[in-house]
Amino acid sequence: MKAERLRRFIDLHASVGMVSGLLLFVAFFAGAINVFHHELHHWQALPSSSSAPHDADRFLERLTGHFPQAAERFYFLPGEDPGAMWKQDGEWRTAHASSFTGEGTFSVLPESGLADFINELHYQLAIPGGAGLLNIGMTLMGLVAVLYGVALFSGLLIHWPKLGKELLALRHQGNLRRYWKNLHNLIGVISLPFHLIMAVTGAAMGLFTVMAVLLGALVFGPQLQDVIAQETDVWPPMERAGEPVAMALMADYLSAAEHAVPGLQVAWVEVRGYGDSQGWLGVAGSVPGNLGHHAHVVLDPELKPLRVISPQQRNLNYASLSPVYSLHFGDYGGLPVKLMYFLLGLLGCLLFVSGNILWCERRSDRTGPSRASAFLLRLTLGVCVGVVSGVAVSFWVSKLGLHSPWADQVQLLERLAFVLVLLPLVLWSLRASPLRYCGLGMRIMPWLYLAIPVLSVLLEGSRAWREGDVLLVNLLMLSLAGLLWLVRIHFRRRVRLAEPHPLWVGRVSETHPLKAADAES
Amino acid sequence: MRLWGAALLSLPLSVMLVGLLAAALPVPWSSWLVLMLLLVVILWMGLVVLAAMPRRVLPGLAGLLVANGVAALLLQATALYGGGT
Repeated sequence: MKAERLRRFIDLHASVGMVSGLLLFVAFFAGAINVFHHELHHWQALPSSSSAPHDADRFLERLTGHFPQAAERFYFLPGEDPGAMWKQDGEWRTAHASSFTGEGTFSVLPESGLADFINELHYQLAIPGGAGLLNIGMTLMGLVAVLYGVALFSGLLIHWPKLGKELLALRHQGNLRRYWKNLHNLIGVISLPFHLIMAVTGAAMGLFTVMAVLLGALVFGPQLQDVIAQETDVWPPMERAGEPVAMALMADYLSAAEHAVPGLQVAWVEVRGYGDSQGWLGVAGSVPGNLGHHAHVVLDPELKPLRVISPQQRNLNYASLSPVYSLHFGDYGGLPVKLMYFLLGLLGCLLFVSGNILWCERRSDRTGPSRASAFLLRLTLGVCVGVVSGVAVSFWVSKLGLHSPWADQVQLLERLAFVLVLLPLVLWSLRASPLRYCGLGMRIMPWLYLAIPVLSVLLEGSRAWREGDVLLVNLLMLSLAGLLWLVRIHFRRRVRLAEPHPLWVGRVSETHPLKAADAES
Repeated sequence: MRLWGAALLSLPLSVMLVGLLAAALPVPWSSWLVLMLLLVVILWMGLVVLAAMPRRVLPGLAGLLVANGVAALLLQATALYGGGT
């Protein structure tokens, strides 16, 4: 490739990386934890007061009796303490069987919203406003995913001719800057398939509304909206109320669905028109052993299957949609694949941070010291330390909040704690010496994550290791603490072995020699 | 400038190119909507990278603009807009 063209690709790679890098760091860090979204829901819940499983049918009768709006449409979540989600006056509400007392009185128990907060941080940066036609945060992340894809394609074009050499070029000796550059390239090349998957599926999910509007406006016309509904809805919405009908037992519906799709593991049930002869139930779940593992069985109230969508029996749209979801969420191969996604997500964070730092140092070398490079370096460090610390503190608030007098406010407090940690840290990073700031951040962050499993043990005793999901999340937090400690060791080694780049020192003068001691403070 | 211009002009072009492909293929377009969406995304990313190739900014962006016009004209010759699935 001609040198001039190569330089243009490098500039493109660097500029799209800089624009999207910080937001991608947030999405990847939250996303790595969000791989264990289901387990996190169990981790955040208060220990169950009753060991006996609750009756699902009694719960549904009570729910639809107390909240008639729920009967029109709700999502049933099976389990020992079955739950349901429904829209009440335009707002989603959740109830569990344990929310009803023995006499049938409904009382709302305080619940943590940590898993949902981490999820929102991942796909919409926790920007509110998801109720309208266009979810601003999600669309923004879709655009960022497109820029991320551009960075990947341009990065591939840059590195393709020397791919083999660069894979073997990671050395500790010599130029330390080159070491970090090689590390950036190595992570990028090794995890390229993962990043391509994330970029394409993330952009497709984030920009679905924008794409649908454009395809409708430019290519297919207004008919597209109806066609999308036809092709993606498992069954048309109930249009009119029919005769009242006695519902079968929920266990029978689940059994009928498992009979229609052998090996189905039920995740949730969408119920439309509970107790109505025109109503239907959509049993959703997965069939393990398939990449596109999602399955749906639509049943009428009398247990008759109306539609079956399974890995062996589905149209092209479902056959392509299911892998999009499973490849993005990493839920197709059990715990090993989830752990791989967790590690690749964290490596992605390292890729974005190292990319931003390399860009700032390289720009400063090429054009001389500038405010822009210094600002971007500080902002990068501030956002990274702020987000990592903020998420850890949200975990603390989630665990402590439910055991405090402010348990009713815990969902708000988790989000508030994140913002109250992130903003001051970002502001501080813009004022402090980057080397000192980074050294301090690296020193504190592992302890923030170590404290999470400790809190879990102190507040909930043996539940912290007896319940599988709770143990898994605690171990993940421990491993995060370990990984952050490892990054700290590498950071200190870099500072010890090489003179820091002038950008890192902040004020450079003979009377202000900030070197290794800054990283230790 | 080059990046944002390319990103803005490549999006409708990638949508229309996929529309032209839908018109050319002998299968109902409604049967591969999800693949269409993925293809639009990949094409969009690829077109932004390609727009970085010309030495100067304007010829690349002008090329994209012309390509948008040509694709829009070609789409008029198809029965996709408001037609059947």
